[in-house]
Amino acid sequence: MPQRLRTTLYYAALWLVSLIFFAPVAWIILSSFKTRNDILATPPKLIFSPTFENYVDLFTRSTFMLQLINSVFLSLAAVILAVFVSFLAAFCFSRFKPKGTDFLMFLLLSIRMLPGPAVIMPVYLMYVAFGWKDNHIGLIFFYAMFSIPFSVWILKGFLDGVSTRFDETGRVNGGSWFHVIFKVVLPQVKPGLIAAFIFNLIFVWNEFLFNFIIGGVSTQNIPYALAVGAYADGGLNWTFIATLTSIYIVPPVLFIYFFQKYLLVGMTFGTVRGEV
Amino acid sequence: MPAVELINVSKTFGKKKALDNVSLAVEEGSFTVMCGPPKAGKSLIFRILVGLETADEGRILLSGRDITDEPASRRNIGYVPQSFALYPHMSVFDNIAYPLHLAGAPREEVARKVDATVAMLSITHLVKKTPDQLSGGEKQRVAVARGLMKDAAVFVLDDPLVGLDYKLRERLMDEMKQLCEELRTTFFYATSDSLEALTLAQSFIVLDDGRVVEKADVLSLYAEPQHVRSLELVGFPKANVLQATSAGGAVDLAGLKLAGPDGLAAGAVLAGIRPEDVRLDHSQALKTEGTVQIIEHLGSEIVVYLDVGGSPVTAAFAADGVVPPDLDSRIPVSVDPSRIMLFETASGRLLGRGRAGGAVHG
Repeated sequence: MPQRLRTTLYYAALWLVSLIFFAPVAWIILSSFKTRNDILATPPKLIFSPTFENYVDLFTRSTFMLQLINSVFLSLAAVILAVFVSFLAAFCFSRFKPKGTDFLMFLLLSIRMLPGPAVIMPVYLMYVAFGWKDNHIGLIFFYAMFSIPFSVWILKGFLDGVSTRFDETGRVNGGSWFHVIFKVVLPQVKPGLIAAFIFNLIFVWNEFLFNFIIGGVSTQNIPYALAVGAYADGGLNWTFIATLTSIYIVPPVLFIYFFQKYLLVGMTFGTVRGEV
Repeated sequence: MPAVELINVSKTFGKKKALDNVSLAVEEGSFTVMCGPPKAGKSLIFRILVGLETADEGRILLSGRDITDEPASRRNIGYVPQSFALYPHMSVFDNIAYPLHLAGAPREEVARKVDATVAMLSITHLVKKTPDQLSGGEKQRVAVARGLMKDAAVFVLDDPLVGLDYKLRERLMDEMKQLCEELRTTFFYATSDSLEALTLAQSFIVLDDGRVVEKADVLSLYAEPQHVRSLELVGFPKANVLQATSAGGAVDLAGLKLAGPDGLAAGAVLAGIRPEDVRLDHSQALKTEGTVQIIEHLGSEIVVYLDVGGSPVTAAFAADGVVPPDLDSRIPVSVDPSRIMLFETASGRLLGRGRAGGAVHG
């Protein structure tokens, strides 16, 4: 077989696989521009007259803006809090090496492996007992708590890669600890901070279970809206699902597009850090 | 008043005594070199001095003021660490200006001082670059520039030339010396390189295994080392230190007999001989033979590595009009007994010089 043909076949196969995986996403995005009848038509309509009716409907729903704002606010607030706390914690682990650091790091990582449903009952009872249910601050703290272990773990790897000689130079030249932490060390672990930020952002953005159980009407986010609003008029509300999903996937896609190199660094735990 | 004074400083890591009762003083306006083998505690002394480590015991004085309990950020010492530790996220200019920025110096003053210093170190063309674009020697000069930015009473440089290639070291040594003369401040410099130490030092502090073994100016340290470590560290090629035994006031050096200094106790002693005192003829009193193993031509000098009765001996002589011996040949070797320095084996202290006539007693 000539080389050219082989290359062509190879890429054709790759494209085919990609397209198969991308098909559901394409279907949902296309559907958001179709009328309900077009969505349900058999055979599926590839050629249709696009409509923005669904988007107009969605934006005029009374709860949509609340859900969107909640999603954005909860994600950003929880993740900023988590990354800030994790950075300071990781700095201490990396620089002062308290007794049992290795064991604590292992513990942090294993906590991350714990599935959410395993703790949903005690957390629910706790939140009800303390009156934190359906409360933004309560949810933000929960999400931050859930994000911190893994972030500490990632960031410690990055901080270990920043020589303590830098800290010392800062101190010898008259810098305070605050200066050393935020002006000397922090700029050098930016890729790690961004990686931790994106990982956690994706987690909180996609979080449904805890929002549903320990959140409530005032804290409802987009996954909550998708679950609750999927059924309407005795059937699946396809136009709503398609439109909301299309909007829902935009922020993570944009984030990942702009920060993909940091994401790679984060996934390899800083081992290819030099290339950023 | 000394610019820097350490009084009875000790530091222990686990069970290892890293610094053992170190007392030293660096005179104001001097270029003092602290010399010692690797791991002798040079860096540790500097780290204690600038405040990055705390001493278990002892006091540290800076221009007569006790700074033992002051945090690093408040001690006014310019420090060039062994690793350059240039901030990768800052330009060269910002790296150099860093101590001034931290001190909150006004913009014009920063620019003026940085400009003057980079001109002095001829790195003006580098200020807009980032540290990762620099070569080793350039980084080194930037680190020195940053260390000099502070309006400090004393500048501490921890083996800043280590790991640089030979040519660069030589050039930077000259620059450093010039810098010291221009700035007229106190320099406290650590190195384990003999040539570097000799080139730069006005006065020497020799460190061995966490102890100060000798303090002297450069000429007397070379001529009359008071400790075997000083003899070994200062001078190139490295001095010969041979095992010998003494009995009844006479010393037996591999079969050669010489008289020891008065009051020499019996036992093992170390005999130190500078390579330039080893003659490859029988012109001196102590005569023996050796086998030539390696010959190095250093241009003005020839260094011959010999095997004398199983002990390695180095000889060095001016190359001027001399025909070097053949490899593997047996050649005459002789030493003037008064050029042999005898040291106590246990403490390394100088006992005195040898004298002719040991054979009479022995």
